[in-house]
Amino acid sequence: MIYTPFPMRVVSKRVEAPGVNTLKLEFVNQEDHEFFKANYHTGMFGLYGIYGEGESTFCVASPETRKDYIECTFRQSGRVTTTLANTDEGDIVTFRGPYGNRFPIEQFEGKNLLFIAGGIALPPTRSVIWSCLDQREKYKDVTIVYGARTVADLVYKHELEEWKQRDDVNLVLTVDPGGETPDWHDHVGFVPTVLEQAAPSPENTIAVLCGPPIMIKFTLAALEKLGFTAENVYTTLENRMKCGVGKCGRCNVGSVYICKEGPVFTAAEVQAMPQADL
Amino acid sequence: MTRILLKNKLDDCIAAWQKAGYSVLAPVQRHDMSSFDEVQKGSDMALDLILTERTIKDQFFPQTEPLIKYNISKKEIASETMTPPDKKRVFFGVRPCDASGLAIDDPLFGWDYKDDYWFKRRENSVIISIACTEADDFCMCTSVKLSPDSTKGADVMLRPLANGNGWQVDAVSDRGTALLESVSSLLEESSDEAAPVPQVAEKFDVEKVMEWLGDKENFESQFWKDISMRCIGCGSCTFLCPTCHCFDIQDEGDTYQGIRRKNWDSCSFALFTMHTSGHNPRNAQSTRWRQRIMHKFNYYRGKFGVNSCSGCGRCTRQCPVDMGITETLQAITNLPR
Ligand SMILES: Cc1cc2nc3c(=O)[nH]c(=O)nc-3n(C[C@H](O)[C@H](O)[C@H](O)COP(=O)(O)OP(=O)(O)OC[C@H]3O[C@@H](n4cnc5c(N)ncnc54)[C@H](O)[C@@H]3O)c2cc1C
Ligand code: SF4
Ligand code: SF4
Ligand code: FES
Repeated sequence: MIYTPFPMRVVSKRVEAPGVNTLKLEFVNQEDHEFFKANYHTGMFGLYGIYGEGESTFCVASPETRKDYIECTFRQSGRVTTTLANTDEGDIVTFRGPYGNRFPIEQFEGKNLLFIAGGIALPPTRSVIWSCLDQREKYKDVTIVYGARTVADLVYKHELEEWKQRDDVNLVLTVDPGGETPDWHDHVGFVPTVLEQAAPSPENTIAVLCGPPIMIKFTLAALEKLGFTAENVYTTLENRMKCGVGKCGRCNVGSVYICKEGPVFTAAEVQAMPQADL
Repeated sequence: MTRILLKNKLDDCIAAWQKAGYSVLAPVQRHDMSSFDEVQKGSDMALDLILTERTIKDQFFPQTEPLIKYNISKKEIASETMTPPDKKRVFFGVRPCDASGLAIDDPLFGWDYKDDYWFKRRENSVIISIACTEADDFCMCTSVKLSPDSTKGADVMLRPLANGNGWQVDAVSDRGTALLESVSSLLEESSDEAAPVPQVAEKFDVEKVMEWLGDKENFESQFWKDISMRCIGCGSCTFLCPTCHCFDIQDEGDTYQGIRRKNWDSCSFALFTMHTSGHNPRNAQSTRWRQRIMHKFNYYRGKFGVNSCSGCGRCTRQCPVDMGITETLQAITNLPR
């Protein structure tokens, strides 16, 4: 039935930053896994749940090139996320999905990729990053600009290290002024400013931008200054959701249902929505 | 000549359907509010009501719907998907606006992902609509291009006879034909005239409304604040609406057992769209009222080709502060252009 979730086993848990955890989940049932493998593409989301507490919407943070498991990274903020954060290896949680649209990464082939993420919004970006890095030969230059409030708030620290070591990835890391530690050797400054300094060329480049609304707003302005057109900038919207499948009536911005037509949009598509409804 | 069902054959008709495995539901004045409920005989029905206060929607999309039953013990979780009762039902005496409401919501529950809870009930139900012979000041079916004798959403159409003895009976779908077949011996041919349908004046110009709503400039108009000032956000208009379909999913129970439920929700409530971060895209009552009007007369049409309003007038009839949709649509019709 439509709202029946798949049972998933927690196989590992990783603390990314204060209050931010990643769960790695495996399918309990083979046929559920087959369904996921046949339908998942990067950018899609799911409803992760725990009986007795409810369901919460997170992106699938693992890439479409690695479909043996699902990873989700979430900030502990309310009822469901707190309970999920307190699960142990072997516990059973639930997953409904994959829902929503996707980043059209095959249309990105032969282009330079610029990923920009702020804070806890690295997970959706990371799913696209690995989906592309796992087929590295298909894409030209890859630049990742990632910033968080403080050094402690940076998530996926082990992968940041890995990207830093790679010579086919240009990683630009930054923390907000005041968020640096004595041994911090990367940038200090807000993402839009650091992006402007790094000045990636808009020529044949697709930008993927995820972050809190305020960061998106200023980063879009910076991208425009650098010469990016709104059609070549992709981002995600995260309205409150319940059903995830276009029925419960709450996630729309104007006539656009984020759960069905999103969560991935070009900046041009977002600009065409009624801004007062965002 | 048309087929008619005489009132004195109604009880036999009900008995025949029950024998064939159907429950028969009809308008009843039983609880605090009139509604559709199971009946055993004709005298249980309140067919003189212009409209039940609660809608027939309740019988397809109940106020609360169990989805999954769960039991948790230590590390073991047992869960069981719950399905709606597999019961064949005849709905007798459904007003055209309520029957239309079901047809209006079908595409929503069916697009892409099929909501089994809705369709299981839909597929098991036969809708016998009844043409109106009376309307009140709130009725507005004609304003949304329906009529007091519309067959939209109906399987069988009844037209009350002018002499008050019964109803003309017409099948309007295969399902309706089959249902009438099962009681054909109780129907007779007659040339008795049907009572006239009431004149329902158009209260607003739906074309003008749609045009104004379609103009992006008007989304942030002061109009929305002015027109919705009285709304106290109680949600009555959405709960009593035959086409409003918003819901919430909640786990209800204790730490060890409970039920995940699909419960009615309403775009009138501030919490409806509130993010965990505290950000709320619809943070004022006026933005929520705008959402309701836009959803019904702009977004829904864009997606499914019909407006999400069947003109029953309940939202206006029952609003505790005398607001409702009609006033807003009239005001939009009369805006200077
Ligand atoms: C497409 C999408 C992808 C997301 N991806 C992530 C992610 O990868 N990591 C992450 O930390 N957060 C993500 N979010 C936000 C996340 O869903 C909320 O922070 C989370 O639901 C909070 O749940 P809670 O039960 O702990 O909070 P509570 O405040 O207790 O939640 C109450 C209810 O409101 C709902 N809710 C509240 N705010 C939101 C919201 N912003 N979005 C959706 N539902 C909400 C929850 O589903 C829950 O049922 C995403 C949201 C969307 C829509
Ligand atoms: S319009 Fe009336 S019935 Fe509807 S939410 Fe506002 S006060 Fe309640
Ligand atoms: S919006 Fe009002 S008039 Fe239209 S169907 Fe709903 S309750 Fe009836
Ligand atoms: S989440 Fe229910 S309609 Fe989008």
